Amino acid sequence: MGYASTIKVPFGPQHPALKEPEHFLFEVEGDTVVGVKPRIGYVHRGMEKAFELGTYTHDLYLAERICGICTAAHTTCYTQAVEELMGIEAPPRAKYIRTIIAELERIQSHSLWIGIVAHEAGFDTFFMYVWRDREAVMNLFEELTGGRVLHAMNAIGGVRRDITPEGASKIRKVLDYFEGRTKEYLRVIRTEQTFLKRTQGVGILKPNEAVKLGAVGPTLRASGRKDDVRIDDPYVAYGEIPFNAISSDGCDALSRTLVRAEEMIESIRIIRHALDKMPVGAIRVRAPKVAPPAETVSRVEAPRGELIHYARSNGTAKPERYKVRSPTLANIPSLCKTLTGIHVADIPIILAGIDPCFSCMDRLLVPVKGGGGTRHIAKLRVG
Amino acid sequence: MVDGALEIAERLKERLKDELTEVKSPKARRVFARVQPLVFRRAIQMAIEDLGFSHLSTITGIDLGGEIEVLYHLAKDDSVELTMGTKIPKEKGSLMTISDIMPNAAFYEREVHEMLGVKFEGLEDESHLLLPDGWPAAVYPLRKDRTFSELHEVRLSKGGD
Repeated sequence: MGYASTIKVPFGPQHPALKEPEHFLFEVEGDTVVGVKPRIGYVHRGMEKAFELGTYTHDLYLAERICGICTAAHTTCYTQAVEELMGIEAPPRAKYIRTIIAELERIQSHSLWIGIVAHEAGFDTFFMYVWRDREAVMNLFEELTGGRVLHAMNAIGGVRRDITPEGASKIRKVLDYFEGRTKEYLRVIRTEQTFLKRTQGVGILKPNEAVKLGAVGPTLRASGRKDDVRIDDPYVAYGEIPFNAISSDGCDALSRTLVRAEEMIESIRIIRHALDKMPVGAIRVRAPKVAPPAETVSRVEAPRGELIHYARSNGTAKPERYKVRSPTLANIPSLCKTLTGIHVADIPIILAGIDPCFSCMDRLLVPVKGGGGTRHIAKLRVG
Repeated sequence: MVDGALEIAERLKERLKDELTEVKSPKARRVFARVQPLVFRRAIQMAIEDLGFSHLSTITGIDLGGEIEVLYHLAKDDSVELTMGTKIPKEKGSLMTISDIMPNAAFYEREVHEMLGVKFEGLEDESHLLLPDGWPAAVYPLRKDRTFSELHEVRLSKGGD
């Protein structure tokens, strides 16, 4: 069917299907998307500049606040970069604790996402169940770290708190509960017709396109690839823990859901193994205030994919340059490709498919109208 | 795994010879290389096509005072992460885009362009990516001579929100 002309449909920055502000301009022919142009930066707060103003200690708190969902991924990436610049290494027990927190975070983040995707697919009952179950992990975080969202577990040179035997048994209890629930989610995802109709064959991203456009994380792994920084470029304790990179070759929205749900099962296995094999000893080494001139590239598999930080020190207590590239930004080019050729009604579920975290992507502090970065930096420096 | 990184360092030396100003592998799976700006695009292309670096992780720009250093972070399947960099003059310095070889480079190059004022020749879209639409053309926030309070003023007066 041919149309004489296309129309442009703005989507965002404020839109019911977007949970955070970002803009996509869709070019639509009839009911089909023929072009898409993203415009990001609505929550840009100049964090990379702010990193240069703060000391390494201040910047840890800044890194913690790049993202509210994958906060431990950012601090793990930050602390290992800074530790390398300073020439220190976190003790083995601290590395295991970092791994446990990172995997708990992945469970929390993936279940948040499964809830959102269920909601976008019009399956709100599923959304409610998953988010109810997610509370178990959030409450566990509060017990283990003192914070439900920002855990502040990572410190330069190790971790801030130990995981006690009581803490470990609480973790195991939550894992047992969550394992049963995740198996149930997988059954629902695989068999529920309403969900399958909305996701199967929707939003195809072929493996060669995913690689060429630089996709990362579950988005890439749902296109049949097995790239996972935890396995390819092991950090913290991942090199000592056996686990599988989850991949699915459906290349559609259903595959993206399955990959994340199965990764939660894998995360549960990783945490159990880490708890069993946790070395005894110190959880933190003393870190110097200054770092000699050096540069480093730090990579982490955040819940959304490869997270990379580049750091350069200059012999002072403040970094010369600190660069952050979150996985969402890496997934935008392939997302635009996936969005082309689809029906307008499928836009929300495909957009949600990459598990977009726009704050992370834009490197946000906290959006306070008129306040801007300065107020927060000032606050940070005082407090 | 250290061998993988060392092998890459050796192959870079072989292929780029005198154009390679510096190469080091400080730890497993990491290689840092610096080349002359004139051969920069060719060096990146060689890393992608001949050495198998299929993934561009990101691009970093750094203000060094008189010069801007641009670093391309490339990853390979076996996870050697190569950082290939070059220095160009701060004013009127430019590099050739690699967005025709690596489509996702366009986003990262646009970011380096708007944050540090590096011109990428052949880059199709140079509009703002992260900064507001009304942001003045010559104010590059990540240059060292721009202070945070100055940028804040610009944002309040011209940047919108």
